[in-house]
Amino acid sequence: MEVLGQDRREGLGRRADSRVTLLTLFFVSVLLLLSSLYSAEASVFRKARETVVDAAAPALALFAGPINAVQGAVGDIRDYFNVLKQNEALRQENAELRQWMNEALALRETVASYEMLHAYYAPPAVRPINAIVIGESNDAFSHSMLVNVGSDEGVSHGQAVIDPSGLVGRIVDVGKAASRILLLTDVQSRVPVYIEGADVEGLLVGRTKARPAVTFTKSSEPVIFEPGQRVLTSGAGGVLPRGLPVGVVAEDRKGEAIVELYANYARTRLVRVLNYKFPTVEPDEVATPSDGAAQPEASSSSASASNEETRTVQPTPQAVTPVTPASAAAPRPVRTEEEALPEEVED
Amino acid sequence: MSRLMKAATPTLLGVVGVLLLALPLRLGAGVVPTPLLPLIIVFFWSVYGPSYLPAGSVFLIGLLQDMLTGGPLGLWPAVYLVTQYIVISQRSYFLGREQKVVWIGFAFAATGAALILWLVMSLMSGVLLPVGALLAQMATTVLTYPLFNFGFAHLQRRVIVEA
Repeated sequence: MEVLGQDRREGLGRRADSRVTLLTLFFVSVLLLLSSLYSAEASVFRKARETVVDAAAPALALFAGPINAVQGAVGDIRDYFNVLKQNEALRQENAELRQWMNEALALRETVASYEMLHAYYAPPAVRPINAIVIGESNDAFSHSMLVNVGSDEGVSHGQAVIDPSGLVGRIVDVGKAASRILLLTDVQSRVPVYIEGADVEGLLVGRTKARPAVTFTKSSEPVIFEPGQRVLTSGAGGVLPRGLPVGVVAEDRKGEAIVELYANYARTRLVRVLNYKFPTVEPDEVATPSDGAAQPEASSSSASASNEETRTVQPTPQAVTPVTPASAAAPRPVRTEEEALPEEVED
Repeated sequence: MSRLMKAATPTLLGVVGVLLLALPLRLGAGVVPTPLLPLIIVFFWSVYGPSYLPAGSVFLIGLLQDMLTGGPLGLWPAVYLVTQYIVISQRSYFLGREQKVVWIGFAFAATGAALILWLVMSLMSGVLLPVGALLAQMATTVLTYPLFNFGFAHLQRRVIVEA
């Protein structure tokens, strides 16, 4: 280390390596930190973030491709070793899913007959935007991912992001060609959810751990739920659509429901940003639903033709609490095919 | 390599380190956290060539990391600048020592950085955050330090200072 020990006063900081600069910049950082404590959503900070995300997106996308390929190859090699076990598990799952499929087909017919009724108004359609994860914060406390779609594709703040298994998070920063997803495990994440079968609503709170918790408001009655019950978004607050699958209750810890997420963040690769416009309910509009687009035949054809049209559907009490986008789209085979992810070749 | 290019190498390495922290690397199927390469870079050049990594570069590296990983702005610049300040003040102790001693010094620096991070983030979120993930990341960083130290020492000696 002889040469390393010599300070030759070369490099970028020939004149600028004084402690004064260092301390000044340190205080600037602290000031930034304090100001972001009080105005985390300040437009200047957000703009700066979004600009940087946009600028870094091409570089990240460039590297994300090879990383993806390597991980795929490694995954393939691992799969060779437990191919028999996986096969058995898949066969079992397939048998179960076939039963579900039959049930779903029967239900689809039932739902379609209900939709023929005049009292039915279709909930606003969801237009998914397919995206690839190009970045992920490898940080102990900030849990977020970057995707390769932005405002150019119609992404905007607050939109839900799902993958084939369930809710991934929601959009917090939107650049022109890239945006950031705040994951459900992030300490800032708060998502209104309800527990199916338990009839309780709560808030899914991220705690930087792999399993977030559902907290309930302090009510006089104790909240009763059981492990294994499904957790879905409630749509409260009017940001995320109702009924997106989030996970299952794993355990009861001090009155909070610890949730095992459906999304596996170590494998999240292809996601969909849900371009969903929450219906605004105005009393007289609900009273006189006369728009032709609200008719089932018209809505099913317009759903595939033009999204803008379906989003102007007159809001109704049913539309306020829309069902899962997937199930809403189920009676329309055209849409389900359209919505399918380009290649679901994960694993 | 031109003089400017050589002088800017540590800064550029820091930027690469930040990019690695923003890529979906998922080492070991997501079990192994990505090492904090910028922390290693800040530590190494604070010991062996502070003039090659001025405070301005450290600030920019930290700010870029904040913006790409989505944390509160100013957190990582503060952590890196504190590290740089303390390491530069202890520089005369580290120079000419065995690599083992420097490694232990880095372990202390990483512990200090982790403590600041945990305190600030806990303060900002209003709850005492779990430390598991942070400790795992710092442990990975400390364990991989000798590897990077070897590479950077070579770079500093053969490419940046000499030739």
